[in-house]
Amino acid sequence: MFMQPAQATSGQIFVDYARDRVAVVAVVVLCLILSVAVFAPVVSPQNPYNLAQLDILDSKLAPGAKASAGFTYWLGSDEQGRDMYSAILYGLRTSLAVGAVSTLVALALGMAIGLISAYAGGWLDSLLMRLVDLQLSFPSILIALVLLAVVGQGVDKIVIALILVQWAYYARTVRGAALVEKRKEYVDAARVMAFSNPRIVFRHILPNVLPPLIVVATVQIAHAIALEATLSFLGLGMPITEPSLGLLISNGFAHLLSGRYWISFFPGVALLITIVAINLVGDRLRDVLNPRLASHYGA
Amino acid sequence: MSKIVGSRISDHGSRIAAAALGGWLATAGAAELRIGLSADVTTMDPHFVAAQPNLTAQHHVFEPLLHVDERGRPVPVLATWRNPDPLTWEFTLRKGVKFHDGAELTTEDVAFSLERPFTIKGSPGGFTMYVRPIVAREIVDRYTIRLKTAAPYGAIPQDLAEVMIVSKRIAQGASSADFDSGKAAVGTGPYKLVRFARGSRIELARHDPYWGGKLPWDKVTLTILPSDPVRTAALLSGELDAIEHVPTADLARLKKNPNLRLAQAVSWRTIFLHVDQSRDRPPGVLSRAGKPLDRNPLKDVRVRRALSKAINRQAIAERVMEGLARPAASVVSPSVFGHDPALKPEPYDPDGAKKLLAEAGYPDGFGLTIATPNNRYINDEQVAQTVAQMLARVGIATKVEAMPLSVYFGRARNKEFGVALLGWGSLAADLALRSLAATANPDKGYGAWNWGGHSNPKLDQLVERSLGTVDPTQREALAREAAALAAAGVAFIPLHYQVVTWAMKNTLSYQARTDEFTFAHHFKPR
Repeated sequence: MFMQPAQATSGQIFVDYARDRVAVVAVVVLCLILSVAVFAPVVSPQNPYNLAQLDILDSKLAPGAKASAGFTYWLGSDEQGRDMYSAILYGLRTSLAVGAVSTLVALALGMAIGLISAYAGGWLDSLLMRLVDLQLSFPSILIALVLLAVVGQGVDKIVIALILVQWAYYARTVRGAALVEKRKEYVDAARVMAFSNPRIVFRHILPNVLPPLIVVATVQIAHAIALEATLSFLGLGMPITEPSLGLLISNGFAHLLSGRYWISFFPGVALLITIVAINLVGDRLRDVLNPRLASHYGA
Repeated sequence: MSKIVGSRISDHGSRIAAAALGGWLATAGAAELRIGLSADVTTMDPHFVAAQPNLTAQHHVFEPLLHVDERGRPVPVLATWRNPDPLTWEFTLRKGVKFHDGAELTTEDVAFSLERPFTIKGSPGGFTMYVRPIVAREIVDRYTIRLKTAAPYGAIPQDLAEVMIVSKRIAQGASSADFDSGKAAVGTGPYKLVRFARGSRIELARHDPYWGGKLPWDKVTLTILPSDPVRTAALLSGELDAIEHVPTADLARLKKNPNLRLAQAVSWRTIFLHVDQSRDRPPGVLSRAGKPLDRNPLKDVRVRRALSKAINRQAIAERVMEGLARPAASVVSPSVFGHDPALKPEPYDPDGAKKLLAEAGYPDGFGLTIATPNNRYINDEQVAQTVAQMLARVGIATKVEAMPLSVYFGRARNKEFGVALLGWGSLAADLALRSLAATANPDKGYGAWNWGGHSNPKLDQLVERSLGTVDPTQREALAREAAALAAAGVAFIPLHYQVVTWAMKNTLSYQARTDEFTFAHHFKPR
């Protein structure tokens, strides 16, 4: 491999990251959130997506009330008799999955386009980057709204909408980083050795543009989760019988003046904690991976 | 009041005048009323689209020949009527009624207004259905007009209650945009249009002299606030004097507030499920595992009755609607013409439902998807979800697909739903059945909203006979018979009648209307 001499090892990155206590707490919180989301079916007393388990006679109960099925509504119940605690865990699951899947696909797509654009240059570069400009000039919420209004609702459609509004960020980031890498000696060396273009792009340039990409991706996951919540809040996201966090918050909106705060409050807190944790991790990663901010490994 | 106009109109008019005068005395000086409406008004052209939110605003500026009282029974407005024979409806105009520009209302304006719906282009649902039965308009004199029908037709009063009278001189050749700008929005109604700001507000000023006497409010502002919590908050903050369609979630809080008053009535609107019983493979009706079925279970009346039995209507009324609903038995609610008090809501009986399903050959149930609008009826998507959880309990794997009204009606017209939630407000049971349960026949205007494709020749005949009966007593008996027949065949599954609520400052009063209309001139200072 032709690596840059200044590249930090993963061990160094880890040590450097751990210097910030807040960021460490954020990672722990994030891991906790991830594990409860993954194990939601095991740790929640009710499957909030199974309509046969809901009882309308248990609807809108305050936190601490007993359900007719025997368990306790520690965070209250919503207007269909869903246990808010279970609904939040399942909602987190949906929100994180939608955020992660759409980010990964958008990342792959944006990365490929950005690399091709940077390496090929010329008219292809101009074309792709004008496309990116066009995309970035519209607010992502607007693009997503129009798209969902046209293609309809569903998890798959939300993911597609999120991919389509995100890929441009990655393409732009990767292209910038790749243009810098392209002019470095190791790329020239690879060319001299007559490696094929795909091999140079994906085996040599790609590993060196990953750090900025990871930073953008963490921030974008948070962005995707928030966007999904917004779309669901507006009634264009998940099906109403399988609420994500945004939809749970939206359901509680009607009860804001009636004193039933728990229907939107707890899902709101869960969403807040998740997004803040992801952003803190992303910020720290940026600090650690950005050579200009780093002190002990040169640039 | 003039003698020619008759005693009925005179009573009505003087009642309004007396009430209005009382109101005026109570509020010295320029009185303003600010009302929050729950749905957008798309145009001020009263003949463009037959949508209630539009009519609510238009009723302030324009008036029909006759309308209905709070209980939904026809009362004279601009004219009284009689039937010299079963094919003729003679309307006698109130004398001295002035348009906002000072011209007097004559039968020329009436004849023009009843023809204008046919000239409207591009309406998503116009008024032609209300004026089509009239085959001839015969102007006898300045104040008398005779309308002829081809066959006896008893629903002329209900139909004409929907059609506003405009000024021929001004509205001739006017477009809907001219009405929106105010240029052509000249009616005989209690208020003149000052400004129409689509999606935001409608400003109105008192029309003097109004035939109904002095009005309690000099200025009226109708503010469009579709978001429920926002509407409630605007009333609580004092920004508005009254709001319509109080959200169920806020009812308890508003009731407790000593500065506010509520007015409530059982609405004319019945909420029900249309179930596809005509196609072999309706969308969303599948096996529990999501595979296509070899036949449509909903064609079997036992299955439809099982669905009906599985629904706990009392729980929906109490829990989802927080008391703002009554379990429904029939196509029309109790105060509406043709409601049969002998019809009772299907009792909640999940075991009976399972038994019926087993009898029909579905012991393990099947799967279906309920489509619902999420911004039209009170708690519409919540109701659909609750029905889904109740059906799930008798073994029917149920999904819910909710969408805004704009998308919903388009998809319904494309027949994309197997089971769909709909609300229908009607002034008479036979009229409602003509649209909802009669075999589709576009030439006759039958079955236009019969999404389930219910078809029963006996029911069609009964509806036709009922509508062809001019005598109200005989007609009501036939309408009841038709409603009972539709219920026996489970043409659709009635859920509940909405209860409609207005909230206002406690210095005001409002006579709650079964037809859900909000009229500024009916708000009285106390």
